[in-house]
Amino acid sequence: MPRYYYDDYYFPPSRPRTVKGGIKAQSRRGSFGTTWWGRNWIDTLESFSIGARLGRGKAYARSGQVMSIHVGKGKVTSDVQGSRVRPYKVKIQLKTFRPSEWKKLVKSLREQPFHAARLLAGEMSPDFEEVLEDVGVSLFPKRVNDLKTECSCPDWSNPCKHIAAVYYLLAEEFDRDPFLLFKLRGMTRAELLAAITDAPLEVGEDAKHDDEVVHVPVPITSDAQFWEEGAVPDDLYGDVRIPPAPAALPKRLGKFPFWRAEEALSDVVEPIYKKASVCGLRLFRGEERP
Amino acid sequence: MILLHVGVCDGRLFLWGEVPPEDQVISEPDVLPDLPYAAKANELASAAAEAGIRLYAKKARALHIWLPTQDGVALPSSPLIAEIPRDDNKPTLTSWRISAIPLSVKDAVHFLGACNGKEMLASGVILGSDISFLTKVLRFTGALVAREQFLPGLLEQDGDFQAVWEPVFSGNDAGKLAVLADVMPHVCRALTQNAELVPEKTPTKVISWIMETFVDYLVRLSWLGKPPTRVRARSAGKKSFGSMHDQWIHALRAWNATVSGDSKSLEFLSGQVKAWRRSISISIRTPFRLSFRLEEPADDDASGQWYVRYLLNAADDPSLFIEVADAWDPDKQTKAIFLKYGANVQEYLLTSLGHVSGLHPILEDSLKQPRPGGARLNTEGADTFLKETAWLLQQTGYSVQLPAWWSASGTRKRLSVRAKVASPKMQSKGGLSLETLVDFDWQLALGEEHLSLQEMETLTRMKMPLVKIRGQWVQFDAKAIQEAIDFWKKKGTGAITARDVVHMALGTAQTPGELFFEGVQATGWVGDLLHTLEHGADIEEIPASDKFSGTLRPYQSRGLAWLSFLQRWGFGACLADDMGLGKTPQTLAFIQRSWEANGRRPVLVVCPTSVMGNWQKEAARFTPNLPVLLHHGPRRVKQPELFREQTNQQAIVITGFPLLYRDSEVLHQVEWAAVILDEAQNIKNPGTKQAKAARALKADYRIALTGTPVENNVGELWSIMEFINPGFLYTQAEFKRRFFVPIQVEHSTEAAQRLKQITRPFILRRLKTDHTIIDDLPEKQETNLFTQLTKEQGSLYRAIVKETSTALTDTGDADGIERKGLILATLTKLKQVCNHPAQFLHDGSAIAGRSGKLNRLTEMLQEVYEVGDRVLIFTQFTEMGRIIQRHLHETFGREALFLHGGVPKKQRDRMVERFQQDEDGPLFFLLSLKAAGTGLNLTRANHVFHYDRWWNPAVENQATDRAFRIGQTKHVQVYKFVCSGTVEEHINNMIEEKQEVADSIVSTGEKWITELSTRDLKKILRLQKGAVQS
Repeated sequence: MPRYYYDDYYFPPSRPRTVKGGIKAQSRRGSFGTTWWGRNWIDTLESFSIGARLGRGKAYARSGQVMSIHVGKGKVTSDVQGSRVRPYKVKIQLKTFRPSEWKKLVKSLREQPFHAARLLAGEMSPDFEEVLEDVGVSLFPKRVNDLKTECSCPDWSNPCKHIAAVYYLLAEEFDRDPFLLFKLRGMTRAELLAAITDAPLEVGEDAKHDDEVVHVPVPITSDAQFWEEGAVPDDLYGDVRIPPAPAALPKRLGKFPFWRAEEALSDVVEPIYKKASVCGLRLFRGEERP
Repeated sequence: MILLHVGVCDGRLFLWGEVPPEDQVISEPDVLPDLPYAAKANELASAAAEAGIRLYAKKARALHIWLPTQDGVALPSSPLIAEIPRDDNKPTLTSWRISAIPLSVKDAVHFLGACNGKEMLASGVILGSDISFLTKVLRFTGALVAREQFLPGLLEQDGDFQAVWEPVFSGNDAGKLAVLADVMPHVCRALTQNAELVPEKTPTKVISWIMETFVDYLVRLSWLGKPPTRVRARSAGKKSFGSMHDQWIHALRAWNATVSGDSKSLEFLSGQVKAWRRSISISIRTPFRLSFRLEEPADDDASGQWYVRYLLNAADDPSLFIEVADAWDPDKQTKAIFLKYGANVQEYLLTSLGHVSGLHPILEDSLKQPRPGGARLNTEGADTFLKETAWLLQQTGYSVQLPAWWSASGTRKRLSVRAKVASPKMQSKGGLSLETLVDFDWQLALGEEHLSLQEMETLTRMKMPLVKIRGQWVQFDAKAIQEAIDFWKKKGTGAITARDVVHMALGTAQTPGELFFEGVQATGWVGDLLHTLEHGADIEEIPASDKFSGTLRPYQSRGLAWLSFLQRWGFGACLADDMGLGKTPQTLAFIQRSWEANGRRPVLVVCPTSVMGNWQKEAARFTPNLPVLLHHGPRRVKQPELFREQTNQQAIVITGFPLLYRDSEVLHQVEWAAVILDEAQNIKNPGTKQAKAARALKADYRIALTGTPVENNVGELWSIMEFINPGFLYTQAEFKRRFFVPIQVEHSTEAAQRLKQITRPFILRRLKTDHTIIDDLPEKQETNLFTQLTKEQGSLYRAIVKETSTALTDTGDADGIERKGLILATLTKLKQVCNHPAQFLHDGSAIAGRSGKLNRLTEMLQEVYEVGDRVLIFTQFTEMGRIIQRHLHETFGREALFLHGGVPKKQRDRMVERFQQDEDGPLFFLLSLKAAGTGLNLTRANHVFHYDRWWNPAVENQATDRAFRIGQTKHVQVYKFVCSGTVEEHINNMIEEKQEVADSIVSTGEKWITELSTRDLKKILRLQKGAVQS
């Protein structure tokens, strides 16, 4: 394979500089993209036949060479640490949908709330592609023209391994949050939801935090409830038992955005939930003081 | 005495307390409290030690507390601290300075854990209602953590970031925070550092803070073990981390929770955490819960389709339901509701429906239509929904409403099986026992309908999980029914022992398959046996033996018959009649019969040391011909051989609980005809040496006697049942699993019902309020209570007698005033010693455990207290009244009133009014005989104690009549204390033996005693054998 030879001749396999705290791929082995839509995204990349760069891109993604990824409307920007001191700048651009296409898509989403509901539960139903086809759009780049990639590295190939690394990590992010695919096509999750539900658009995606409850002042009064507690309902404690499967709550939340730590979050929290649950039950039953 | 409180101030918990002014010791002032009854720091620290936590007085701080105040006087939390003046003006809030010790989270959790379910930590350490409330908050925290309702998070406070474990209030827990905030006593948040401003933190904020703090602590504790005493704040900063995520998960698993870094990356991390938690945040902050209601097919609906309707239920108003179908395109009214709650309901709906759509295919299908409002189901689908989906939905945090015929287990028609037993004919009843074999067969039924095998097989062939029989839907589990049919075919009939039948009837035996077991239907003598066991009725009455010298009241005869019936079938019994109904005579009548019928073998009576004398006296009275041995004191027989020989001659051997274990070797030598435990609550804890020793005794028959409502105390029941009928209530672990946890923790009424069914045959408890009892009770019943002196009392008593003897010999037999004075003074001193050493010594020394009389009074009041009756206690000494009052305050943590000569009229009236009228008024009323012996109307009391004696029946009766008079609706129990072997017993005997003489001489008060000859006098003063506890 002459290209392979050429490749190696000019760019001997160089050791990239080690990065601490880069984005770690959560897939340790094998292929990326565990969902059909993540897989779809990877397929586009792999159709470019860029040879060994795919493998290196994968390795880069796993070893945390990608230092940052920002997903914007129609554009992904990223810093990837290669062998040089300064990280390379990677840019991936996608065509956004036209307003008329969005309008059509929102309309069909309203007619079948199932798809929005599944998306909100972190999943894209396989027959969603039919919906997209009916509208006449695709979330995934179909043609080379749909996609523009750039990297500031000296490799002549495009996509290069740095782009490939970002591409793989994006697949994982899409697995986690399919709404990012919509963002790439021009509508944020909040904008899309507002359009589907008629609700006023929230300012900023994370504007509201859950502790923002309106606290109506309750003055201290010198009546009977000054010293005495009111009646606590019998069902206060609920059905107290250790859940059959641990850590259901964080599992329901799915993966953490762009995870960078050495250990996987689920490996960290699962044993903690198991231990805590037993400790809580003991305390509840008054069997033992913690 | 100290009354403890815990409050929140500026993100910390503090311990503070109240102490009655008269109890306060003068000490170095730590801070300068200006609240008159504020507890001092050292008092707080030593009270906290009772919970096993170590606090340092020097860490105390001066804080301010806003208390209800009237006319410049702060109102105490309880009358135990100081009298609460009655004033119609509303008190105002004023700030007072107190001394408070900060509690670390570790100490707070430990302390509240120790306080759980208690009103007092120790004698004299009383817990405020705020602490009781906080223990529930702590338990709720435990429940949340057990159910894994928490998530890692990142908390920002003034630019500092902390990795935290936060509680999640979703599903059934949504709204619980509001409930807790609603019932929280205000005093929890009345602490402040600022004397000028009333604290403004809302209850919700205070509760959230407490729960967040506790949850975070518990999760870390379970993972890290005990926290270090001091967390180094800077250590995390020095460690280097690959990423913010590494640092975050490190801080989640360390005692130092700080996450540091530049503000941009911290903000970014915070944003990521929020994005990650988004779907849960939505469901938490939406003030609605999605709810699913399964509706039966309408009668006129030919399709026979069921319907699951989607509803939105307002979290703060359980009665408000909005149909989801109306929520997509809300009309004006619905829109107004949504607006009021300020929620993006549609996003919540979409998220939740997406979340559950995988649980049942019809849920998913319903979402493929615009504006879904529910889903249609066929019968199989409805069955799956009932059996599986409903449970899954609930587990995922949504509420489910099912048809009443399904959810109400009591009325639910289900396939059940019952055993039909036919008794073999027997020539004589004597030949029957629990080991007799009887024939039985199984029968199947659906609800009330009896089903034949054929019908059953037809129904099974229909293969429908739900069938409608006579307008009623019934679940039909084809598999379970097939199992039942197979079981039936294989062993539908057979022979088992009568004992197994009893087990089956009580529900403690294995039953076929998964089917609900309905019980036993029996005829003949087995039927009679079961009927008698289950209903306790129709027991043939048995007269007491001729040798029994006393008359049993009709209900007592029934008690005797019941004891004999259970004995006849080899079951043990727990006689738990209300105090004062005469458990002792019933038992003695039983012993008399057993002695005559069972070949004169000894019965062992184990009782508290304080009532041994009483048993001996009662035995002498009711069963004078039975030989009684007191196994007690340093000279008791300890050699097994000798002991066996000695008991051979006896009908009754009485011993105390402490010897049950200490002398177990000798006690186990004898095969007792019966073992009787009086005050059986002494073995309530099955793990104690005493309880084990009791169970190990060899006896044909066992009786437990107790006056406390034993059947209501699940924790104590096992031990007593295991003593009387070993193995009947399973092993302790099994009992805990089947009954204790479901009843105590899960409040299962079904388990409670089942337990009652099993134990009912063996527990006989009759109340004085019971109409079948009341008819044969006298309206007033007087009992003498004989108690022994403690060693300390004994030596004081002897010293006084010695001194007086010398003095008497010196004064001679003269009829002088000096002699009279001496005798009266001696009598007073001896009475004081009999009452309590502290009364004689006037030294304000410790109270508990030093007087046999007071010990017995405390035990008796414990029983009365548990039943909730009210009590009068008369004494002629104001000083003794104070001692008892203080002792009751410290022991029960409840107010005891004391009316004596020094109480002004207005206050007296108030006391009487509170005792008579107040719903939660004081249970105990102490009265000085002189000040309150006449005039008052205290009919709410139905127990009267004469703690010491005036030796004038007329005066005592008058006092008793405060309770026993018009307006009294209950029967009145009167107890008169007598110290055995002391002057008290001598005089008591003299009066009782010569009632008519007594009436004439005694009416002059105690003067007649001074007229006795020196010889007689010395005789009645002398302390006799057995008067003192060994």
